[in-house]
Amino acid sequence: MSNQSKQSFTRKWRWLAGAAAGLAAALVLAACGGDDVGGEREGDVEVAEGGRPTGEITISQWPGYIDPGSNGTVAEFEQRFGVNVNYIEDVNDNVQFFGKLQPQLDQGQSGGRSLFVVTDWMAKQMYDLGYLQEFSHEDLQTVFDNILPQFEESDSDPERKFSIPWQGGLTGIWVNTNQAPEIRAVEDLFDPKYKGKVTMLAEMRDTMPLVMQSQGIDVENATTDDWLNTIDLLREAADSGQIRRFTGNEYTEDLTSGNVVAAIGWSGDASLIGREGIEWRRPTDGCDTFFDQMVIPVGAPNTAAALAFMNFAYRPEVQADIATYVNYVTPVEGVQEILLQRDPELGRNELIFPPPELTEGCTADPNPPGSAEDQQEVTEEYQDLITG
Amino acid sequence: MTIGRRFIPYWLLLPGAVWLILFFVVPMYFMGELALRSGTFETGFTFDWQFSNFPDSLEGNEEQIIRSFWYAGVATILALLIAYPLAYAIALQSGRWKLLLLFAVIAPFFTTYLIRTIAWKTILADSSPVVDILQALALIPDDGRVLATSGAVIAGLTYNFLPFMILPIYASIERLDLRLVEAAKDLYASSRQAFLRVTLPMTAPGIVAGVLLTFIPAYGDYVNAAILGGTNQAMIGNRIQSLYLFQRDYPEAAALSFLMMALILVVVLVYIRAAGTEAFMGEDEER
Repeated sequence: MSNQSKQSFTRKWRWLAGAAAGLAAALVLAACGGDDVGGEREGDVEVAEGGRPTGEITISQWPGYIDPGSNGTVAEFEQRFGVNVNYIEDVNDNVQFFGKLQPQLDQGQSGGRSLFVVTDWMAKQMYDLGYLQEFSHEDLQTVFDNILPQFEESDSDPERKFSIPWQGGLTGIWVNTNQAPEIRAVEDLFDPKYKGKVTMLAEMRDTMPLVMQSQGIDVENATTDDWLNTIDLLREAADSGQIRRFTGNEYTEDLTSGNVVAAIGWSGDASLIGREGIEWRRPTDGCDTFFDQMVIPVGAPNTAAALAFMNFAYRPEVQADIATYVNYVTPVEGVQEILLQRDPELGRNELIFPPPELTEGCTADPNPPGSAEDQQEVTEEYQDLITG
Repeated sequence: MTIGRRFIPYWLLLPGAVWLILFFVVPMYFMGELALRSGTFETGFTFDWQFSNFPDSLEGNEEQIIRSFWYAGVATILALLIAYPLAYAIALQSGRWKLLLLFAVIAPFFTTYLIRTIAWKTILADSSPVVDILQALALIPDDGRVLATSGAVIAGLTYNFLPFMILPIYASIERLDLRLVEAAKDLYASSRQAFLRVTLPMTAPGIVAGVLLTFIPAYGDYVNAAILGGTNQAMIGNRIQSLYLFQRDYPEAAALSFLMMALILVVVLVYIRAAGTEAFMGEDEER
């Protein structure tokens, strides 16, 4: 062939090849695309199957929330039941954890997890979106035999269909008593003397009620404007550098390394702070309580073992071991008696067995008020605030 | 020529084309489609040609966009200033230590990006010796800190993207024909003149490549700002992460991502034009 016709021949083939590729791409896209995005997961609510536990499970948990080591609860469980437990502490913040798991949960998968622990309001949100399995009380005899009466029902899960309390606590202030002994109220965190040496929690439902109470706002009856004004107040403090940053559980690292002298934090995290002289204080101008829940996600493998773990955790001796290490509030009956025998001081520890005075008037990780749009607005404003 | 041989170029292109289609074209399509949806996460997002997502997504994020330019720009310049002498020394002056030095430069980057950045948190902690030295040198005030400031984020960016600057420049210097430098000196050029008028222009392709490979990912980075920064150091990457993962406002996140991609594309095109296509392609100028 001559050069000329060779070129036009190649050009024609090039066009055809391009067109074929485009068509193939369009077909592929048409086949895959166009699904709904977001919203509730389609499908019925699964009920977790019970049975004899075997095999292996993966549990996702907050850091420092169980007694570790070869004598710890997880090891004990493994020995008793012959189940291999992969215990990972990758829950740092409810919203972060949700963001990480959401795409999988939406598809009905849990990323291999059989059980994880999130705070009660997040458990309810997940349940409403269809991301959690329900369980029947027959499979959880030990749990319902030993649960303290005040935890038998809850606002977020009235029939205890999808969440079982793990541990709870109070949100307050961790203070470096050597460097900032006089910090006793949330208001003190705004003292310019400690500019840049203060952190607050990224969890909106922990930080906001505390700050609002310190401003004299009644949280139960607060309006959306109250929330938004408080967010503006926090934004000023953040812009001026007063608040160093908003953290998940990693505020304990800042306290340990001395970067920070005071942090809004959770009452039982002493085991995560490796520095002397740091103590948790219930703020004089407000307080907040929370309770974290064990939940079983959709697509969880080996639900029998997950249910067995829940039952195991509700044995008073096991809870006593956990409470000794963890210093959080336990939902199980009979633990105080055991601890009083082992270590009287621990049995009277106010963080594990809070007296009514300590929790009086505390909020309980409240949701922002108003309609879904109002709540969305507050949530978005707060997220903008903590992102920076 | 047989018909089969005519198609060899296409067969060779095929793996690359498939890769591009699967991991670039298809995601771009999905992101573009997502950016045109409206709704909320709880009620679901429906597709309805919501072009207003694009200007809406810019609202409230201008500060972070400008800040990202600033951080990425300073980090790129710093990386260039560090990388060029280093690459020059390794390529031309290290003799038998060349391979070892090259390995020493690359070795730290076998560790994961995240771990390296977290390590910097310890290095720059308020009570660390590094900060003490900086305070002694009066570079920061006595009660000042490095973490949770812009300095820490820029330092993290510079450090993490340094190999992307070193390696292209090194490769470019390696390819330098030293006889040209020798010829310049024979023609009475001083060392400085020889460098500025021969070496530097001839290694320009490496510089351009290094700058692009550093600036573009640094602009979209969010890990350094999240770990080393505080409340005033968020970059646009952090904003997009927050929109997508925490606020679950997928359309706005997708729209913002698209706009940032377009912005960087424009910046890169302007840069390549300014640097000159010859420098980019590495061809010798016609005299």
